[in-house]
Amino acid sequence: MADLVSNVTAVGMSVEAIKATQIGMKALAAAIAISTTAFAAAWAEMAIGSAAVGATAENKDVFGLVLLLTVIPETIVIFGLVVALLLIFS
Amino acid sequence: MFVMASGPAPYIYLCTRMRVRKSKLIQRDEYFRMLNMSLPEITRVIEETAYKKEIDELGSNFKGIDLIEVALSWNLAKEYQKILEITPGTLKQFTSSYLRRWDIQNVLNILRGKMQGEKAGKIKEILIPAGTLDRVTLDRLVAEDTIDQIIDALKGHRMYPVLLEKIEEAKETGSFSKIENELYRQFYADIIDEAESGIKGGKLFLSFIKFDIDIKNIKTLFRLRADSFEEDPHEMFITGGSLTVDDFVRLNAIKDLVEFINALKMIVHQKNLLVFLDELKSEKKVRDIEVRLTSVQLDQMEWMSKLHPFSIHPILVYLEKKKYEVFNLRALARGKESKLSPDKITKYLVM
Repeated sequence: MADLVSNVTAVGMSVEAIKATQIGMKALAAAIAISTTAFAAAWAEMAIGSAAVGATAENKDVFGLVLLLTVIPETIVIFGLVVALLLIFS
Repeated sequence: MFVMASGPAPYIYLCTRMRVRKSKLIQRDEYFRMLNMSLPEITRVIEETAYKKEIDELGSNFKGIDLIEVALSWNLAKEYQKILEITPGTLKQFTSSYLRRWDIQNVLNILRGKMQGEKAGKIKEILIPAGTLDRVTLDRLVAEDTIDQIIDALKGHRMYPVLLEKIEEAKETGSFSKIENELYRQFYADIIDEAESGIKGGKLFLSFIKFDIDIKNIKTLFRLRADSFEEDPHEMFITGGSLTVDDFVRLNAIKDLVEFINALKMIVHQKNLLVFLDELKSEKKVRDIEVRLTSVQLDQMEWMSKLHPFSIHPILVYLEKKKYEVFNLRALARGKESKLSPDKITKYLVM
């Protein structure tokens, strides 16, 4: 009888631990999703932004177009955000 | 203080600027349109492009062909200096080295002008201060009375030892071709050393220079074939390209055109060049071959710049294309001034 009680206690503790680990893993996965996509967006915007400034320096008429092109990589980080939110709230 | 950011951003910025500038250059169909215009009409068209500021500034002092000549030279020099200003890091070093070839051209123009007794004003019109010798230095050289004084004024410049060594022979023969060859050989040797010194991006710069040397050597070979008098090919050869001096001498000895082209095709590998050599089945005038070879060179350089879009290549391609735009406009204006037919002028245009 004493053995059975000690086993149940042991299982109960491990379920809590597993739950806590799951929450932690979700948070970690969400962090990875948002940080990698943020870095990717930053890298892409650096390249496009440099080219955009170069093009605008030579021809001011293209400013509106290059501004639009520069923000297109923002979609990458939005995908990351969506994935992170799904992970946290699922 | 202006601080240049590290990483690829400055390269992307500059190469994009070069591409936009290249897209603004005068296009092939525009040249054909200008062929049917008179000189004042051509001046007006040029004024509507990137040369407006120079034409406006010089309009009160110069007229007709002189106005076009000086405006084109000023614009080219200004454009090159501007590019040097905005070029970052190692690209600046390579660009500046590449532009040193203008020092050779300017000094030779001054020496030739002085030798032929041209007026200082006329010599100044054809100078393009795009290298290390700025306008003030060039004006000072032009103001010197004798050739020896010009050479003395260049003491300390990297060209000085060659000029000092060869000037007596040039004065005796009345020809500066040997000095020119020697200066270009020194120029190419120097920039190859620089490209091979381990600086980042040096390999791409080297590939560009090697191809430039190849084209120069091939042009020399065609010139030697057309010349009636024998010249020592060793003196004309520039080292550093795909051709070795032995290849050059062997090719120069081949008299039959088909055999010569077949031998040349075994050495060169660039697709554009091979296509050009395939097309060259009958003897043509050296001038036509040179113009065609220059077009081939520009096409190949353009291809290289697309292969390495953020390197020294897009900058050098723009420098070359801008140079040939100025040459084309000058040829057009001079042709019109001399009342040449449009067909004849077209042969001098690099398109």
